[in-house]
Amino acid sequence: MRRLLLILKNDILRHLKAPVAILLYLIIPIAMTGLIGMIFTPSSKDNTLPPIQVVLVDKDKGLASRLFLGAFDADQMKKMFQVTVADEAEGRRRMEKGKASAMVVIPARFTLDVLEIKPVVLEVVKNPAEQFLPDVVEEFMNTMAVMLSGAIQAFEPEARGIRLMLDGPIDAFPWESLGPEFGKAQKKVVAAEKYLNPLLIRLQEEKTKAVGAKAFMTRSDIFSAVLPGMAVMFLLFIVQTVMRDIISEREDGKLRRMLTTPLRPGELIGARIAGGWLMGFAILLVMAVFGTLVFKAYWGSPGYFLLLAAVTAFWTASFFALMNAFLKNRNQAGAISAPVILAFSVFGGSMLSTEAMPKAFQAIGLATPNRWFIDGAALVREGRFPAAALLVLAASGLILLFLAVPLLRRRSTV
Amino acid sequence: MRRLKRILRIAGNDIRIMVKDKVFFFWTLAFPILFILLFGYLYKGGETAPPSAELTVLNQDEGRWGAYFLEKIKSPGIVLKTAGTEPAEYNRLIILPPDFSEKIEARKDQALALKKREDASAAAAARVEIRLYQAIARLLSELVLYGDGDLTKFLDGHAEFRDLVTVKTRYPAKTITVVPGGMDHAIPGITVQFIMMMVLIYGGVTVMEDRKKGVLSRLLFSPLSPGALYQAKLLARWLMGMLQALMLFVVGKIFFRLNLGDVPLSLLVIAVFALATAALSVFIGSLMGKEDMIIGLSILLANVFAGLGGCWWPIEVVPPAVRTMGMISPAYWAMDALHKLRFFQGDFAAVAPNLGVLLALAVVLSILAGRFFKIRD
Repeated sequence: MRRLLLILKNDILRHLKAPVAILLYLIIPIAMTGLIGMIFTPSSKDNTLPPIQVVLVDKDKGLASRLFLGAFDADQMKKMFQVTVADEAEGRRRMEKGKASAMVVIPARFTLDVLEIKPVVLEVVKNPAEQFLPDVVEEFMNTMAVMLSGAIQAFEPEARGIRLMLDGPIDAFPWESLGPEFGKAQKKVVAAEKYLNPLLIRLQEEKTKAVGAKAFMTRSDIFSAVLPGMAVMFLLFIVQTVMRDIISEREDGKLRRMLTTPLRPGELIGARIAGGWLMGFAILLVMAVFGTLVFKAYWGSPGYFLLLAAVTAFWTASFFALMNAFLKNRNQAGAISAPVILAFSVFGGSMLSTEAMPKAFQAIGLATPNRWFIDGAALVREGRFPAAALLVLAASGLILLFLAVPLLRRRSTV
Repeated sequence: MRRLKRILRIAGNDIRIMVKDKVFFFWTLAFPILFILLFGYLYKGGETAPPSAELTVLNQDEGRWGAYFLEKIKSPGIVLKTAGTEPAEYNRLIILPPDFSEKIEARKDQALALKKREDASAAAAARVEIRLYQAIARLLSELVLYGDGDLTKFLDGHAEFRDLVTVKTRYPAKTITVVPGGMDHAIPGITVQFIMMMVLIYGGVTVMEDRKKGVLSRLLFSPLSPGALYQAKLLARWLMGMLQALMLFVVGKIFFRLNLGDVPLSLLVIAVFALATAALSVFIGSLMGKEDMIIGLSILLANVFAGLGGCWWPIEVVPPAVRTMGMISPAYWAMDALHKLRFFQGDFAAVAPNLGVLLALAVVLSILAGRFFKIRD
């Protein structure tokens, strides 16, 4: 046991003396988490999207189009949309530069058609390079169209009156007749106010969770949700780097020389696996502490998390021990381990949320440590004990260990 | 001429060795395709919302207005399900309270509870919500039209709502006519990302290994100058990137009906981008002496550049500040050019600024890589 601990201490010190590769693998998940957080963390509670850039093309330049443009000046609208008035050519240029998600074209004769109660078509020209924001503009304009239709119908006689005023010479219009008309309009405005201020019917939204549903991933929790996936992915990279010693020492003859001393193969193997485990555990802790300090990530119960981190690191060390028992040389290890880690990470949910994946991919994900660690960490965040994740990782880790040790022992003595 | 032949021979040999490697097709083809499938599935755009968005209705209203309001909600994309009591399972639920009619007739404002499951489709939820707002707007317009009259008699006869203003959508002239699918966005993004990943890792590691194992110094026994050797290594890594891009585009064309817009110009963009990446890989391989360090740095650079450059998510959802920051990524310029070609049917003039930036980057990195290229440690 003393000899095992000595080898272990020596291995750890050796890796700490040349820490650049390990540091790089530590920086990557942190940088990736930071990047994803920067992009997907909303700037405010009520607005999850950046303001949508819209170009308004006013081909009418009349009273109605000006009122329509004025609607975009309301405070709530300004939060949602950033409007620029321009012509169609400029609108297209802006779309090409990615500076506009859509262009709303108010047609010529818009004011006259509105006043004559004729059907009007507003055009929404969508940016073809964008996927989501143009649809938001389209739906918003549909709602605006309904409101405009309502307003036109409600004030139909008044609209027709204004149309008449616009047509004839100013001295031919019977101004004295406007008094009663204004009176009628005023009554309508007063009546409308009863329905519109406050709105007679409003929606009160409430987000609910089905019984037994998983924790909802809000954007404010984004760091806490992303970091475990990134951490386990780079835990795999770091542990495989550390445990590649098993192969490199066999390849360059160090192992044979070490076995001329009173060291037993079992002690060497034990030290290597324990080294991988300890290093992995330490890496997870460093990432957790860094995530807490820098990203204010939330991990839940420290006890549960430490247990989950320890078991995951154990699984990782056992897995790479078995893998290295099968592989012949460093080149082979380099060629195979990276694709295996990336496949684990893709299917296991380190790169994409498993919920967004097709069902078949989700099922494959269950065979990866990433999936169990991520799911376990989510449960710990909710304050629950990650029993299933611990059981699966511990049991499969033990099986891997029992398979790896005799194979490594045999290869060490050959 | 002889010099060119020698350069081509060494570059060709590097490519031959690479293609013979067992994991070559995993890195260049299988793994990117897996990513394309995942991201294509994830960003199907308009396809992500189910064809009909479901809305469960709990109508407890004791009058006639509840049914009238529900009629207003009905539209082709919405499926209304009625429930007698609040169900345990639903995606979205609207509750019309017992006094719904009474409050309308008394002109008293009210808030309708709209419950949304957190795990249900956000796109479907947005569609339902918009229809609800439109239904409310229609109803309120009718009430305004009705004026001060007795609302208990409203449903016996009133002016119908007419859609006088409608909305027509289209894409800009001379761009696309068909809504782009998820794959149209995913394939260029993943191709750009994996060119970086593959060329940086593979290219960097092999430059370092050739130096460490003395392959580079042995090659100088032949009538080859260090400059020509560097050019051969750069060419090989550029060809590596081009080969990968071609394979992914061909697979995309055959299996996913990929449309790149102007194909020669798209390949030109990829060629200049691959040159910048190739130069960076030689630079990294010349500076670093350990495989793990090269792999780590390459993964870091490729992922950060891909994320900032809009390879993974639509750049439109990225906050403006991060979008500006993305300009430091070569992937940003390549993706922007590919978008112009694909979605705006752009010509050379449209992508000339992007090509200029990428070319300038390629020249700077090539000079740096040449300056630091080492034959031996």
